[in-house]
Amino acid sequence: MISLHVMESIGGQARRAAPGTNWTIDLIEWARKCSLSKWLANAAGYEEAPVPPDWIVAAVGAGIAVGLVLAFISVVAMFSIWLERRVAGRIQSRIGPNRVGPFGLLQSLADGVKLLLKEDIIPSGADRSLFILAPALVMASALGMFAALPMAAGAGFTDLNLGIIFIIAVSSLATIGVIMAGWSSNNKWALYGAMREAAQVVSYEIPLGLSLLVPAVVAGSMNLREITESQSSWSGACWLIFQNPICLPAFVLYFVAALAETKRAPFDLPESESELVAGFHVEYSGIRFSFFFLEEYGAMFIMSALGVALFLGGWNFPGIDVLHGGWLVATQLLVFVIKSLCMILLMIWVRWTLPRLRVDQVMVMSYKYLTPIGLGLVVASAGWEVLVAGGLPFNDRPFWMQAATPALVVFVCLLLGWMLRKQSVDSAAAPFAARSSAPGAIQT
Amino acid sequence: MVPSSETPARGAAATLPVKPAGQGDYDEDFNLKPKFATPLARNEREMVMDVRTQDMEMNMGPQHPSTHGVLRLLLRVDGEIVTGAVPYIGYIHRCAEKIGESVEWIQYLPYTDRYDYLAAMNNNLGYSMAVEKLLGIEIPERAMYIRTICAELNRIGSHLIAFGTYGLDLGAFTPFFYSFREREWILSLFEKICGARLTYSYIRIGGVFNDSPPGWLEEVAAFCNDFEEKWKEYNDLLSENSIFVSRTANVGVISVEDALAFGLTGPCLRGSGIAYDLRKAQPYELYNKFEFDIPVGSGRKGTVGDCWDRYDVRMQEMRESVKIVRQCLAGIQEGPTLAKLSAALRVPAGHAYVGIENPRGELGHFVISGGDKKAIRLRVRGPSFCNLSILPKALPGTMLADAVAVIGSIDIVLGEVDR
Amino acid sequence: MVAPTHTLKSSGWFNEVWLGFWTALVGMRITLKYFFKKPETVQYPEERMPIPDRYRGIHYLEQEKCIYCFMCARACPVDCISMEAVRHGKELEWVSFTVDYNRCMFCELCTYPCPKDCIHEGKEFALVTYDRRDLVLDLLSWKGMSAEAKQRFEAAEAAKASGAAAKDAPKAGAAPADAPEHS
Repeated sequence: MISLHVMESIGGQARRAAPGTNWTIDLIEWARKCSLSKWLANAAGYEEAPVPPDWIVAAVGAGIAVGLVLAFISVVAMFSIWLERRVAGRIQSRIGPNRVGPFGLLQSLADGVKLLLKEDIIPSGADRSLFILAPALVMASALGMFAALPMAAGAGFTDLNLGIIFIIAVSSLATIGVIMAGWSSNNKWALYGAMREAAQVVSYEIPLGLSLLVPAVVAGSMNLREITESQSSWSGACWLIFQNPICLPAFVLYFVAALAETKRAPFDLPESESELVAGFHVEYSGIRFSFFFLEEYGAMFIMSALGVALFLGGWNFPGIDVLHGGWLVATQLLVFVIKSLCMILLMIWVRWTLPRLRVDQVMVMSYKYLTPIGLGLVVASAGWEVLVAGGLPFNDRPFWMQAATPALVVFVCLLLGWMLRKQSVDSAAAPFAARSSAPGAIQT
Repeated sequence: MVPSSETPARGAAATLPVKPAGQGDYDEDFNLKPKFATPLARNEREMVMDVRTQDMEMNMGPQHPSTHGVLRLLLRVDGEIVTGAVPYIGYIHRCAEKIGESVEWIQYLPYTDRYDYLAAMNNNLGYSMAVEKLLGIEIPERAMYIRTICAELNRIGSHLIAFGTYGLDLGAFTPFFYSFREREWILSLFEKICGARLTYSYIRIGGVFNDSPPGWLEEVAAFCNDFEEKWKEYNDLLSENSIFVSRTANVGVISVEDALAFGLTGPCLRGSGIAYDLRKAQPYELYNKFEFDIPVGSGRKGTVGDCWDRYDVRMQEMRESVKIVRQCLAGIQEGPTLAKLSAALRVPAGHAYVGIENPRGELGHFVISGGDKKAIRLRVRGPSFCNLSILPKALPGTMLADAVAVIGSIDIVLGEVDR
Repeated sequence: MVAPTHTLKSSGWFNEVWLGFWTALVGMRITLKYFFKKPETVQYPEERMPIPDRYRGIHYLEQEKCIYCFMCARACPVDCISMEAVRHGKELEWVSFTVDYNRCMFCELCTYPCPKDCIHEGKEFALVTYDRRDLVLDLLSWKGMSAEAKQRFEAAEAAKASGAAAKDAPKAGAAPADAPEHS
């Protein structure tokens, strides 16, 4: 609860001043008045401990914020790693880690300790400074993305008006780190990984940005908090995918682009182990390798959280509005994290099902399929908002228009489920009239 | 390789128009001249692209996850595009053929397990048949049935590995575990009949070592039923998957002429569209009693002879093997399982070549006997070794990720390449 | 640059998008199905797979049957069996019967030529040591002579001694000791 109060006060202050200034001042006041400081001050000949300059206040505030995020990201990443390994195990008819702690929950911790204790090898041919800097930069981008994330009402680090843009921009920073890692390792496989990462991320920012424009169009804002708050009617069930029929395909598009942004299968080309062995981090070991690992799962969480905030109602959940005060914030935070973890689960499920694309097919996927679809969706969602809904705010629309989208979403889900019942691919394929030529088998 | 005079003409191969292929594809050092995608000459490239670029040489293997063992490929790459490939082999050479000349006939049997360790039953069968041909003995019928069941089950097991690791090469992990789940059942069946899970040494000169234990044939039938269900799932999960198809269709196309010129056999040859299977072309054991089809590459997803076709041939062959096993189970009778042989086996002088259809192609054993307890000369024609030779031809022009796909689709076992 | 064109048979833009989406869904249905099924794995040290009777593991020797004939050692392709015993008349005084598991490949060729059917491959398979020399296992359950053999031997010796003392005495005493122990 302490951390929640801290978070709340961070959010409360954020709009007025630099992040966390006020509570940092409180903290420092408290520290000045505690007996140890007094004793130290007296010993040094002062009446009381001196008031620190502003930069110290700012530095301490930033330090505490980074510490909080680092702790949070580490816990979430470790939990995701455990989740991934367990889910992968079950999908593959095996058990997964189950020796360390209950259900193997402490396995990630054990692995982390092992990685910390391992020798940190820097190859002799490596560019030392870049080699050391790369994991730090990658990690910094994962931490930075947290700044704009609205975790619960009033509990976020900042309240940026361009939150969406900020997250995309900071997430690209990781790419620079990956390229640095690949280049400085002095290894051809690593270089391949870096080049692939660069090409892939640049390509997939376009469909990602386009898919993020759809919620911006529907909610009328680029501010993540405002978009989330706009999904709070119907006692918290009015998620964006239920507000506009275009949001469901946009969510699918966002999901695919987010997979590519976070280097997850089927887009894990930069580190594809069957081609590039380990890709850009092939020469890394020990703690530096674990930074890349943590970043991957941290980025996964943030991309999931962004999708949750934009499409799946953020912290809103049916019936959550009966709660008040600290309980409300705590529950909202819990709802938000659980929703994000569900999306991570989806990513894991996809990863352990699909093969990997080839590098040119990844480009084709982006430029030939996802980008046109994204453009179409932006236009279509704007068209729906302006032409069909007449530009009315959501709560003022007639009932049929409010109910149409959830009905459509439910219908599509049921239809897909019905088609998947016992279907095998052979018979279900090609509803769009495939123009396949006759097979030209040579039989002797 | 000297085919003995009884070998019938290879009908399938003989009727095909064979061009003298592969003549101009190598320079005098057996290095490849790029064929499929001709990169620009350096000065040309500098003029067009205004940058100076250079082909890079990369060592893929011997420690690489996708070379299926200790194969080392020296790749010449232009960015992501492979412009040349030279395979280097011999990392696990164990002189198996030379050993064959210094141990007794029956003692060589465990060594045959160890070249194509994924299809040890078939290896045992090939060697035993070669020696039996020299001995000129009759094999009891029940032994032949059990041999066929084991060989076909082993074919399924081997193709399951090919299927699983192919998924792994292309980044799909889960099919690998599913295929191993079914393979586990096959291995436990083998464990019950002969006591070993990988190196069986079960099919021997003159028959098989043991009769099948009680209840074994029923369990084989149960496996066949279960496997057909699982087989459909494999197709849904991988074969028809859009990403998988786009990774394999039209990739690594091996033309009919190339396939014949490089001496490909097995699924690699049939993937190129030639229905040549030794079980049909030179029926041995009981194969002319059974009804089964020879799947060939159809180009259903791309061109005939691409990676998808070779993969698909293996998938279809698993189902044909199930068919054969079912017919064996229907036809098997009680009886002896081992022909009467003297304890110290002396093989009459002469030479014999017997080729059988290994999961990977034609596995031939050529033995020369001087009428003694040991072979004078023993030579193995390994399908993986010959299939591997297509790599320098098939890889240039593909991308780096396709190189992995092509190697996987040829399905080599390095233990047999190096022997 | 000349890039290879690996296009599938074009079946139309919409169809390609649909196929990509649909085949992924079909695959995910299968993986989901197994997610809810019981895992197939066995937790090894606690649970064990049943080992069939014909399993080819570490050898065991029925020493009282063995007649020291070297058939198994001769059949071994890798010469991993070596044995040493001293013959005292018809009785054996065992010194060693070792199998070198550095070499043994568990082919079971040693068990078939045995005239007394006394060497077998058992169900033990764990060969874990810190030292390769520990992999040379001695299969003997006792060294020297067995109690019965010693008895028979002493009886035969005694008979021989008494026979030597009274040459005309019949060999009645030695007859039971001479009878073959194994049929």
